Amino acid sequence: MLTTVSVLIALALGQAQPTTPEPPAPGAAPAAEGPAANEEAGAAREDASHVPTRRYVIERIDLRGLKRARPEAVRRHLLFEEGEILDPERVLLSRLALLQLGWFSRVESHVERGTERGKVLVVFDVVERNTLLVTDLVIGSTRPQPLYGGLGLSQQNFLGQGLGLSGGAVYGGPAEGRGGDPFRYSLRAGFFAPDLWVPHLRLVAGISGIFLRGEELTCPDVKCDQFSGNFGRAPRTRYQRAGGEILLGVRPGPFERLSASYRYERIHAVRVDLAPGIGPSIHEGWSNLGALTGAYEIDTRDDFFYPTEGFHALGQVTLASRLVGGDYEFSRYLVQADTAYSLFRFPLRFQGAVGAVQGDAPFFDRFYAADYSYFAVGPALGRAMELNFSTDSRYDAFLAMGGLEYGFPLWSRADSPFHRAFLAVGARAVFSSAKLGGARTDFSKLPISADVALRLDTLIGTFNVSVGYLLDNAL
Amino acid sequence: MLPRATRLLLGLVLGIALDARPAAAGGPPEGILAIRLTPVKGRAVAALDLAAVFGPSRFQEFGNGLTNVVEIYTSVLPAGGGSPLFIHGRIIEILFDVWEETYAVTVKDPEHPSGRRLVLPSSASLRSFLSDQRDIDLGPLPALPEDFLVEARVEVNPISKDQLQRTREYIAAAAGSRPSGSRSVLGAVASFLLREPDAGSDVHVYRSPPFTRSGVLPR
Repeated sequence: MLTTVSVLIALALGQAQPTTPEPPAPGAAPAAEGPAANEEAGAAREDASHVPTRRYVIERIDLRGLKRARPEAVRRHLLFEEGEILDPERVLLSRLALLQLGWFSRVESHVERGTERGKVLVVFDVVERNTLLVTDLVIGSTRPQPLYGGLGLSQQNFLGQGLGLSGGAVYGGPAEGRGGDPFRYSLRAGFFAPDLWVPHLRLVAGISGIFLRGEELTCPDVKCDQFSGNFGRAPRTRYQRAGGEILLGVRPGPFERLSASYRYERIHAVRVDLAPGIGPSIHEGWSNLGALTGAYEIDTRDDFFYPTEGFHALGQVTLASRLVGGDYEFSRYLVQADTAYSLFRFPLRFQGAVGAVQGDAPFFDRFYAADYSYFAVGPALGRAMELNFSTDSRYDAFLAMGGLEYGFPLWSRADSPFHRAFLAVGARAVFSSAKLGGARTDFSKLPISADVALRLDTLIGTFNVSVGYLLDNAL
Repeated sequence: MLPRATRLLLGLVLGIALDARPAAAGGPPEGILAIRLTPVKGRAVAALDLAAVFGPSRFQEFGNGLTNVVEIYTSVLPAGGGSPLFIHGRIIEILFDVWEETYAVTVKDPEHPSGRRLVLPSSASLRSFLSDQRDIDLGPLPALPEDFLVEARVEVNPISKDQLQRTREYIAAAAGSRPSGSRSVLGAVASFLLREPDAGSDVHVYRSPPFTRSGVLPR
């Protein structure tokens, strides 16, 4: 019976010819109830030779409802032009492409009569949406920093031209017990052109900048218990970074991106109450960092927010040298992958990362294990826009992470400000070491972390509310 | 003790979570399927009344001058539950001609795998045609279980896996990528767009009262 079912479905889809004897035409016997009767109600004509094949010319493309987006910026994403023959599938794909831009909450398309017979208008009715999204929302608390916070924003349709502009800041104030010290904060800004049109090539380009002033506590014990009553007296490395990065990329395939970037930073570091040779890796005084990064990214996931199939992988190689204007000589390698399978109708995601750093890399170009964990038992805490507010300043040269995450959809409503949500339950194992073959230390005795998180896709961005993050702040 | 700001955030999120309702899906039947089963040359042939699916509001959509697709899957289910024993598929493509003001309709089913074409002169005739689906062959009468019911699943403008893949490739190639952290990453958004209610998924399921095989047999 299963075979019969398969054959019937295949026939219905027009994909196969019958291999079994054709069943008797069911409509043949009761002629009064057959197709003819059905059509009589509407006086239909049934004859393939009499059905006209439409070949209408697109006289004009109307974009209705535009307020901020520029018409020429919208037209760049359509798959057809005025003067061409109407192809309904291309209209559908163009509609989806406009929705994908993130500029519109609604895009409807239809065809209207043109000024003369044989010509038509293709009309897109759009409702523009908020393109200013929250990309980062940070609220945290640690013993040496009772409260810190930050916000990141991204404008996805800058000047109505489809350009991306983003910025973010995290503020932590002066270190506790050292009110006269410089404030700790991180600022970043970026500009991105996702679609530079060059003949035969689709290029992406971007430029970003960062200014950051921070401190890394470097106590004899990682919890800094010796200074818990007065973190102001704890030894530390105070540093400042100012720099930028230029990126140019190309898409070799529909789901791939190949990019190269150059980063330059001017760095200043001061050791406070620290013995020589102790503390995170950084050159004292003023130094320069120049680095070239090559990256390959492939993303075949079916959904950026709640993927149920496909995978995402990123490979990065960074080379820093005096040859490119820096004082640091190092290389950094990182491969990250995330793949999703359907298990009992819900997606099970496997996540993994391996990385290595060789040479004289500054600490912020090494791996901070807590950045890859859901939470870290002990003082380590995932950094906020690269600022470390914990007492743990261990940065490692080798990293391995593996994890599983299972997702349960909660709701999906296009008309609600909270478009979609799912509950994620996951576990991760993270291993990191300062040297190859090195053992784990007291800093992160427990390599396993787990999480239950509410993931929200909202009108103003995606948010992750995580029990792991709360634990990380509490533990 | 959690910081106050964190507790406030947690409370807000719990409030949101408690307000959540499960997403509507094409799962349980929406109503009773009006169906007439007739024996024809030893086979069970069904006629379905789908007027509830094709209400007047639907026809503005069908008159948009672009191709609209209706898929009707009719299956025979054992009355006691279990997998379908027989499925009949019918795909109807509708294209409104803005100059002729007629509906060009192509019907593909197992009896017409290459398509049967009609021209319907008005939305009323299109509605009549869609609402009254006939000649649905549900298989040889002896193969039917003694007690069974019939389920009709109607999908309006469904997205096939093939179309989904082509759309993703197109979107990824044409629209490009965004900086990491933004919502669009290469081609990984197409299925979300296609699943959005206003972009496609429109599924209706109706189930008949139980039948007995002997009730279908000619007297």
